[in-house]
Amino acid sequence: MHPRLPNSFQRTAALLLSAFCLYIPANIFPIMTVTRLGVGEPHTIIGGIIALINGNMVPIAMLVLVASILVPLLKLLGISLLLLNVHYRWQSHTKKWTILYRIIAFVGRWSMLDIFMISILVSLVDMGSVAQVIAGPAATAFAAVVVLTMLAAKNFDPRLIWDNQR
Amino acid sequence: MNDFIDPDASEVTINKKTELPLVWFLPLIALLVSGWLIAKSYNEKGPVITISFPTAEGLEVDKTKIKYLNVEIGKVTAISISDDLKTIVITAQMNSTAAGYLNQNTSFWVVRPQVGLGGISGLGTLLSGPYIAIKPGDGSKENHFTGLTTPPLLKNNTDGTHFILETNNLGSMKPGTPINFHGITVGEVLSHKLSDEANAIRLTIFINKPYDQFVRKNTRFWIDSGIDLSAGTDGFKVRTGPLISLLSGGIAFRASAEDTIENIQPEYSLFPLYDTYTLSTQIVYQNTLKYVMYFNGSVRGLTVGAPVQIRGIPIGKVTEINLELDKKTAEIHIPVTVELEPDRIKEINNDNNISDKDVMAQLINKGLRAQLQTGSLLTGQLLVDLDFHPKSKIVLSDNKSVYPEFPTTASSLDQFTHSANIIMDKVAKLPLEDLTAEANKTLQSLQGTSKAATGMLVTAQGTLDTADKTMASAHQVLSIMEPGSTTHYELEQLLQELTQAASSVKQLTDYLEQNPNSLIRGKKDQ
Repeated sequence: MHPRLPNSFQRTAALLLSAFCLYIPANIFPIMTVTRLGVGEPHTIIGGIIALINGNMVPIAMLVLVASILVPLLKLLGISLLLLNVHYRWQSHTKKWTILYRIIAFVGRWSMLDIFMISILVSLVDMGSVAQVIAGPAATAFAAVVVLTMLAAKNFDPRLIWDNQR
Repeated sequence: MNDFIDPDASEVTINKKTELPLVWFLPLIALLVSGWLIAKSYNEKGPVITISFPTAEGLEVDKTKIKYLNVEIGKVTAISISDDLKTIVITAQMNSTAAGYLNQNTSFWVVRPQVGLGGISGLGTLLSGPYIAIKPGDGSKENHFTGLTTPPLLKNNTDGTHFILETNNLGSMKPGTPINFHGITVGEVLSHKLSDEANAIRLTIFINKPYDQFVRKNTRFWIDSGIDLSAGTDGFKVRTGPLISLLSGGIAFRASAEDTIENIQPEYSLFPLYDTYTLSTQIVYQNTLKYVMYFNGSVRGLTVGAPVQIRGIPIGKVTEINLELDKKTAEIHIPVTVELEPDRIKEINNDNNISDKDVMAQLINKGLRAQLQTGSLLTGQLLVDLDFHPKSKIVLSDNKSVYPEFPTTASSLDQFTHSANIIMDKVAKLPLEDLTAEANKTLQSLQGTSKAATGMLVTAQGTLDTADKTMASAHQVLSIMEPGSTTHYELEQLLQELTQAASSVKQLTDYLEQNPNSLIRGKKDQ
């Protein structure tokens, strides 16, 4: 029985740092290679979004943008801000910070959408040289980032925000 | 709020152990992993090179790969136009494994689909897009290259030797023409250039190991085009090479049995290239005797190069056929120059004192004459046949040429024509008109006879009809006379009575014979 989650701050900080570290390779390395009739090249996440826009699939591109770029960034930033809040005992807008925390905790899991899509494509589209989808190293890194941010959000005790209020 | 303080309680010191939770290993691992991944990708990056090509057709940034033996070792990262606006400069990022290939003599070329007589290549690039191929060379390290416009002739560094062939006519030889050895393709033609004296073409060829060891001192190369059809005095001859030679030409070679391993020729040795297989097998004789022959009949069918033979064995060839007109006497001569090769004859009882010319003179005295003979009835080609005609005389014409004259005799065709002519004359002399007149008369009389015979036949026909009718009535009569009928019975009676009458008359005549006076005296009763 603990009044607060044990070592919440440290754990959240560690997990967040790991997520940051892994977010860089997730964006540098190619996440997926789609080969059609022997023609195809690996795409990074951003490269994939651009390719989707160029292929006139703008709604899907927007979806990928939101789920793969905006949401993880939001989470990373949000949790780091919350940690800063707790560490430096910011006084104002406590309720808003709590709402932010709740949003982060809720929305976090939806980033897995991207990974879900990649894994389904890889297992379904396996037709040799006619069409093939191969996942790249960034897919693993991205999945790790999402899991780590979810763990970070879970390990953060929002009551710490209130603790610092006088 | 609880103000109650337990007096017995001592000061409690709360020991807050500052422990580093194990959680901190996680970012450490994450840092290490991502750091390693990034470092690895940087290490795999090799040098950046530039290649200039005349055109960037089909090449795309970040898509076109550079491949060696179909293994990807680099990728095009940028395409730009050079400063002088004449070439395209391609910037490529190579893998670190490719660093060893980038030397001065390394060549790059673009692989696109190519359809040629030698075959179709590069079809895979229709789907996957062209790629740049590399052939590593030697030399110092280099980062800026000029790409080739056409693929180089030897795509890999195979082992082998280069040689040079000399020929009169380039014909269908071109880079890539295969060279085959007993049917196996063992090399190809690389390039050609005019020889220094500008009277022949020199081809540079490449023969792969281990077949280059068969290129020895007496190895012969010849052009092995698809079909070799020759019509000579022996008749038609057809030789075929492999099918690929039909389309693109080819060269074949064979080693001679006389050569051994020591006779292997060094690189870039020169060999002659013969036009046909037959030419390559001919042994060239150095020692020749030239003669001139005058033939009386027509020499139509005799060509330069026609063989001269003794009883069927070739011993030389015709080198020239000229037409001479003697302006003074208005006579036409046809001197035929032949070249005999005495080395072809194996000599027994060799006596070095007698020269070849003397031997020839001896043979001529014994009756050796030249005669034109039909080599092949199909082509009508003539050849010169030397044979002994002991009864013929030496008939020499007025020989004005440099070479001694060889006496000739009429060809058998001429003789045959002559005899045929004689027979024809005899036939012409036959009294054919008289014969035909006689024959006509005979025919006419025969005609008359036949007419008479026809008349006779008609009469005979009538007679036969009557005979027919007679027969019919006779048959009728005979039916009346059948045994059962009354006529028959009456006839029988009649016969009996006649017989009786005859017997009594006989009695009377007998009596009268014995008693002839009974006629007067009457019968006496006795």
